[in-house]
Amino acid sequence: MNEAAKKRLVFVGLSSGCLVLTGAFLLELWGHPGSLEAIPAVDPMFTNTATVRVSGAELVRTGGDASGLDCYTCHDKAKRIVLHFDAQQNIILSDAHKDLTMGHGRHNRNNHCFNCHDEANLELLQTRDGRELKLLESSALCGSCHGPTMRDWEAGAHGRKSGFWSAAAGPTERQNCVSCHDPHSPKFPPQKPAPRPHSLRAGGATADEPAKAH
Amino acid sequence: MNRRNFLRTTAAATAGFAALAASLAPLRELKNFSSVDEFMQKYYKELTPEEMGRVLKRIEDQVEREYGLRPHVRDLKPMDGVEFVYCLNLTRCIGCRKCVHACVAENNLSRNPEIQYIRVLRMPHGSIDMEKAEHNYSPESVPEKGFFYMPVQCQQCQNPPCVKVCPVHATWQEKDGITVIDYDWCIGCRYCEAACPYWARRFNFTKPTVPKDKLNPEMAYLGNRPRRQGVMEKCHFCIQRTRAGRYPACLEVCPTGARKFGNILDPNSEVSYILRSKRVFIQLKEELGTVPRFFYYFDV
Repeated sequence: MNEAAKKRLVFVGLSSGCLVLTGAFLLELWGHPGSLEAIPAVDPMFTNTATVRVSGAELVRTGGDASGLDCYTCHDKAKRIVLHFDAQQNIILSDAHKDLTMGHGRHNRNNHCFNCHDEANLELLQTRDGRELKLLESSALCGSCHGPTMRDWEAGAHGRKSGFWSAAAGPTERQNCVSCHDPHSPKFPPQKPAPRPHSLRAGGATADEPAKAH
Repeated sequence: MNRRNFLRTTAAATAGFAALAASLAPLRELKNFSSVDEFMQKYYKELTPEEMGRVLKRIEDQVEREYGLRPHVRDLKPMDGVEFVYCLNLTRCIGCRKCVHACVAENNLSRNPEIQYIRVLRMPHGSIDMEKAEHNYSPESVPEKGFFYMPVQCQQCQNPPCVKVCPVHATWQEKDGITVIDYDWCIGCRYCEAACPYWARRFNFTKPTVPKDKLNPEMAYLGNRPRRQGVMEKCHFCIQRTRAGRYPACLEVCPTGARKFGNILDPNSEVSYILRSKRVFIQLKEELGTVPRFFYYFDV
């Protein structure tokens, strides 16, 4: 074979190789990566920094309807309140207070109104050692029984904080006991969990069959 | 050369070049090859303040072009006398995953494919057994009976294996304890991902997708600025917030207050109090000698 023929052969070979590649790309023989399955945007409730409940103090601060805090619109100042109990010594709530869940402490040991509320003045709270506190300043009342938790809360180790960790940079906001705990039923309420991760891995999680974490 | 030969050669050559050009068509999809400035940019630690200013402006321009929103990109330096520590109360965590999504929103993480810095593990009561850990749990409500939850994210090790393996020094530990990544220096080899015993590093297999209306414009160079395809990323303790004195996003959203963050060098900080007086039981995978700055503790 002479030089010219060799050259032609190489040239034809290269050209046809490129032509085959072109054809392959045009026909998408290798295919494109499949488009990703749509993932719904996460519900804004899962990025919301609000506390799980609205405390009375927060309600007053934000100008909400705080009429539920005015005891003497319904109660009579001069009349003594009589509590009613059923056969198991559970307190029977009046219709006006049916929204309360009485669940403070195990074994029904602390579900008596006047363990915390002042019998003589409903707008006050009373601690076991006889101090009287305003309704919206309840944290000290909680602390009168829950000492170690109060100590942790004061040190910043219990409860929620937000804002600035550095006092030099700005203010820190600290939540009170009743911003997260319902005083009548203080156990932290169960929450709906945010969506689980959507795995990309082959053989990963499907809707019906969760995969194991590594 | 005669006329016939000339025409034949020209036709063949034209066809050949056309075919060559067409066969290189996939290169046209290399769109995210950005400016010369970005390509020629110096190593982070060698940048002078003026050069850094130009880099930040270049990033702001790029983000504005792409997202239609002018961000505020800063290069925040570590504060003096500050070393960050994270404490997580396993007694309090209920596994609601709000931290995961607050982090996604704050740090401009890809929504699809999903990239998340925090993985919440659910484990049965009794031991911390990673073999029994499950992160795909999805009950109606949490916490579930018989289980506890353990969120895992970058542990900001004092002896970080990921930093040791990086061949280009694109990731390093800063003096406030945060291990950072320069996304403009990362070559995407994923060695660090393999080295991390906590599975804390994430790789951008595709260009990250962040909806324009969800972009957080408060950005930091080593933090939440948009990433490219082909680079690593991971939790950086919300550098854009914490180096400005704020709490991280995962902490602020936690409904139970299980997450605690602060300066360990300040004896009056809550993390100092916790490490001093609480039952701080582990640094995760303590036996590996990574010495995490992320502590798990109990209340009781």
